[in-house]
Amino acid sequence: MSASDLDALIASRRIVVVVGCGGVGKTTLSAALALHAARSGRRALVLTIDPARRLADALGIGAIGNQPVSLPRDGLRALGVPDAGSLDALMLDMKRTFDDLVERFADSDEARDRILSNAIYQHVSDALAGSAEYAAMEKVYELSERSEYQLIVLDTPPSQHAVDFLEAPTRLLEFLDSRLVQILLHPAFAAGRLGFRVFHRGAHRVLQVLERVSGLAFLEDVSDFLLAFEGMSHGFRERARRVRSFLSGPEAAFLIAAGPARDAAELAMRFFDRLAQSRVPVAGVIANRVRVWPSGGAPPDPIEDAAQRERAESTLARALADAEGSEFPALEAARAAIAASDQYALLVREDARATQRLFDRARDAGGFGRTVPELPLDVHDLEGLARVADALFGESTGETPLVAD
Amino acid sequence: MTSESGSSLFERRLVIVSGKGGTGKTSVAAALALGAARAGRRVLVAEVGPDEHLPGLLEPGAAPVGYAGRELLPGLTSMRVDPYDALGEYLALQLGAGPLIRMVLRNRGFRQLMDASPGWRELITLGKVWHLGEQRDASGQPLYDLIVVDAPATGHGITLLDVPRVVVSAVRAGPLRRHTSRVEAMLRDPDHTLLLPVALAEELPARETAEFVARVRQEIGIPVDRVVVNAVMPAPYPPGLENLEAKLARLPDTCLEGVLPRPSVLAASVAHLRARHELNRRYVEEIGASTELPVIELPYLMTGTQGREPLQQLGEALVAPPRVVAA
Repeated sequence: MSASDLDALIASRRIVVVVGCGGVGKTTLSAALALHAARSGRRALVLTIDPARRLADALGIGAIGNQPVSLPRDGLRALGVPDAGSLDALMLDMKRTFDDLVERFADSDEARDRILSNAIYQHVSDALAGSAEYAAMEKVYELSERSEYQLIVLDTPPSQHAVDFLEAPTRLLEFLDSRLVQILLHPAFAAGRLGFRVFHRGAHRVLQVLERVSGLAFLEDVSDFLLAFEGMSHGFRERARRVRSFLSGPEAAFLIAAGPARDAAELAMRFFDRLAQSRVPVAGVIANRVRVWPSGGAPPDPIEDAAQRERAESTLARALADAEGSEFPALEAARAAIAASDQYALLVREDARATQRLFDRARDAGGFGRTVPELPLDVHDLEGLARVADALFGESTGETPLVAD
Repeated sequence: MTSESGSSLFERRLVIVSGKGGTGKTSVAAALALGAARAGRRVLVAEVGPDEHLPGLLEPGAAPVGYAGRELLPGLTSMRVDPYDALGEYLALQLGAGPLIRMVLRNRGFRQLMDASPGWRELITLGKVWHLGEQRDASGQPLYDLIVVDAPATGHGITLLDVPRVVVSAVRAGPLRRHTSRVEAMLRDPDHTLLLPVALAEELPARETAEFVARVRQEIGIPVDRVVVNAVMPAPYPPGLENLEAKLARLPDTCLEGVLPRPSVLAASVAHLRARHELNRRYVEEIGASTELPVIELPYLMTGTQGREPLQQLGEALVAPPRVVAA
């Protein structure tokens, strides 16, 4: 696998969706991908949900969001972005995006106001699994319909539900179509005059049970909400279909971002499963902040033999004593240094193993694997972002197995 | 904070362990349950979410425990709260077990309705937790002295904790409101319940934890009196050896040949661990200051947290007196 897989992706796709759990540097990777596109002369946008503050500052996106902000031309030029390329950033306000959706599809002002002020709606947009993420996809689709961007990189929210957005509209529509909802939608219901008799017996019983448990008032609120919502279901349905086919089409690609350690890689594995369930091909996986052995290659095994270890300690202690003088606690220092080296070697081996498993999985799925080694500094400015982009696309970070199996 | 606040972790009836994916929340829940069981408490640990991780931590290769649960160790029972199982149990308790409940649960429309409906999974999960706390043994004593809930990773578990409040505000009357009020009262009772946030000492988790604790205080009102910071890297060398990495880097390149990696490699290893240590230290302080809560630090364990031995080690650190970081 080479950098060219990722290069080709960034050069040809219109949407790159980066999924993965929180804390793996997903936002940084997304921004670095967009920066690379800009450096290759494309007009790129990175759409992010919840960036680390300093990265948000670096990108010039603050708390006020939902509109793209262009990064200053001078700063971009310094990073090697040609005049044809550009980099914009947008911080998505989920709640507002969802409200926009209601606004767009509600069939009247009155229906819109009824939805937006309904107690149930106010929690639906927060709580309905995947709906907030779906709102993000909506925004992406809206932006992709305009021509100002050649590439949009979407940094998805760091949640278990992050891939549920693909199913969220289907679920919502199935729900609206269900017989139960059709009963709840009946105006007589909302008016408090239950006309159960005329409906299917099974649904009738279910509603009776629901009513006994939840109380009629609650069902009336639900009914009122659904009634208002139903007016938008046609537009929503059509839109959901287009978003879905766009995302599973040739213009979009999904990447999984993973952390290096065992647990983080384990969590990333689940994204493969979830995307496969949703029949979305995975273009590749990026293992971020992978610890590498300072001299390259595989780290040495710790010295198990006590005599050998003692010899190693005294050799290092002698060298330290020669350099630092006899006052220096050379033996203690030597032991600490060797222990640290063993410990770091363990981390490097663990990362290599976890990364290898991810890459094997990616290869099985027909995708590629890329490694970004841990960088000495936090990424909190554009230069830092450029270093990540270099590591992502550079030759030096090719997939070198660090442990021999 | 006195040492009593440490042991008081075991004095609560309900401890909800919450944290984002990757913070080691499940290990903390397992360590807490193990520690309490070893201290003679009857403990139930309830995992919330689609997958079971906890039994495998306590006993590598353990078979799933499911909704019925299983005693994994003397005094330590583990279960997974499945919302549909809990709903069936609840409906049966409310309406009497029978063909009607089975029909409802099998009804396709009902499934669709439930699959698309927000919030009820969280609510029924907490309802089940409440119900478990009410269980009595033959002598009338609570069946479990301590229930540990391993909350879902999504949004720091905020939806789980917030749902009773939302339901009480959105449902005007009826049994649902009445039962939910009971659950809400349980969650807010400082003698009964403790929320135990688990964080990592890194930028993003530190910020999320601060935001989470602020929201819990302002909106949710579940008692929280300490925050766990997991996987803190210890200093790579004892005090008095400052800048060991620089001293190593200055050694002649070949002086360790055939015995150890080059001095520059040793220096880089030490530098890495030190950078990690210092970063962790900085964010431990920041978490303490921003949450205004005492901090319990758990060490990074090189060997991972699977198996009883590392979990016992974490359990001991967990009941140590929390350290007040900020004034």
